Amino acid sequence: MFTLENFLFLLQGVPNTLAISFLSFALGFALGIPTAIVKQFSPYGLGHVADAYISVMRGIPVLVIMLLFHFGMAGIIPVFKSAFLSATFALGLRSGAFQSQIFRGAINSVGRQQMMAATSLGMNRWQAFRYVILPQAFIVALPGLGSEIALLIKDSSYAFVLGVLELTKYSDIVRKATRSFLYPYLIAAILYILITFPVANYLDRLGSRLKTKYGLR
Amino acid sequence: MGEVVLACEGLKKRYGDLWVLKGIDFEIEKGQTKVIIGPSGSGKSTFLRLMGLLEPPTEGKIYFEGKDVYGSGLDLNMIRAKIGFVFQEPSLFRHLTALGNVKLGPKVVLKMKDDEAERKALEALKTVRLEEWSHHYPAQLSGGQQQRVGIARALAMDPDIILFDEPTASLDIELTWEVIDVMKDLARRGVTMLVVTHELGFAKEVADEILFMDDGRIIESGPPEELLKNPKSPRAREFLRRLIGGV
Ligand SMILES: Nc1ncnc2c1ncn2[C@@H]1O[C@H](COP(=O)(O)OP(=O)(O)OP(=O)(O)O)[C@@H](O)[C@H]1O
Ligand SMILES: [Mg+2]
Repeated sequence: MFTLENFLFLLQGVPNTLAISFLSFALGFALGIPTAIVKQFSPYGLGHVADAYISVMRGIPVLVIMLLFHFGMAGIIPVFKSAFLSATFALGLRSGAFQSQIFRGAINSVGRQQMMAATSLGMNRWQAFRYVILPQAFIVALPGLGSEIALLIKDSSYAFVLGVLELTKYSDIVRKATRSFLYPYLIAAILYILITFPVANYLDRLGSRLKTKYGLR
Repeated sequence: MGEVVLACEGLKKRYGDLWVLKGIDFEIEKGQTKVIIGPSGSGKSTFLRLMGLLEPPTEGKIYFEGKDVYGSGLDLNMIRAKIGFVFQEPSLFRHLTALGNVKLGPKVVLKMKDDEAERKALEALKTVRLEEWSHHYPAQLSGGQQQRVGIARALAMDPDIILFDEPTASLDIELTWEVIDVMKDLARRGVTMLVVTHELGFAKEVADEILFMDDGRIIESGPPEELLKNPKSPRAREFLRRLIGGV
């Protein structure tokens, strides 16, 4: 039997799910913006490094990165002894590559004319980027960032494999304890939607509202 | 004779295999207004972008206040800051209000303090008669208002010259007038201006000289009365006949 107590127990997985998702998003943001900038300006030929980073992260399943960190590299890098941090870093690293692509697209959508107008005022490339291109790109990127958060919330469930006590792990525990095979996962599925939807939807709507206000495409 | 603000010598520009500018000599003195006319594709915009240091020439020299711009290791951005540019395409920074647009250059490039930049910007907005619209975003302004903010944005930098590339080409007739009126004001106040436009009324009233451009060259130039009434070259005559006849 699946009871209210089971449900409340299962809810205890939510904080870790949220923590992994949002911390990895923040890490991804912190990596994504500089990566996009490096790709834009390619200082000291670093553009290739950014390209390599993106290709590698696109090519490896995030679960494999988690396993690699936690089981393969804990000896070399002590933080990976923590399953929670291994999962967060794996997701954050991949998110950095994805977010850099989102920002790249957004930067390109701002257009040459804005750059030209900034240049005509005597701004150097960095000033034009900082004061003119990036603020507009950020608005354009909002819906993409919403999808990225949704992806991270869902993929945080891989942390289950490392034994992190997040939502999926809890639903599995409940399944074993109650021998109820349907409800624990069904409730987990609904909870994932309830977490994902408002965040992604909010960023979507904020993006549309600001785009209309500023006349951005 | 006034001092020459901006000049070029043997200016050429090539895109791939296409020579868009084929050798242009030009100069403009402080306080002058010069108007460029010519058929579509003749290279007017390219010429202006080169003179605004927004693109380098393929050959030839550009002089700003007597100094060879590309030849003497000058800081191009410092010169660009002294050359205003008003574009045909919508070019206001879309995430900033009218005031924000006009303030940004003085703040970021001229390193003015916020209140000083704001004072400068409001003054410029007043010149283009938009002080009441300073808190509107570009998307909330008409095309004519946007172009006037663009002019204010250039003015706030205290430029030594402003280049205008068909600033009214994409505007309705009434909106064209409000922009042209502001430009006439500036010309009368002695702002040095190089203007690509087919508003011949503007040229007649305020231009010191009209230059007719065709196929990458300035093939004729002279005072407005002369060039508009008695163009010497057949190409200019044909062009003006069509422009005035509206055919
Ligand atoms: N960045 C560029 N790359 C390649 N070709 C270009 C570029 N800019 C302009 N051209 C070409 O150069 C020629 C002149 O263009 P330009 O825009 O200077 O003419 P224009 O006199 O301003 O014309 P219009 O009256 O239509 O504005 C055109 O054939 C155009 O296609
Ligand atoms: Mg043009």
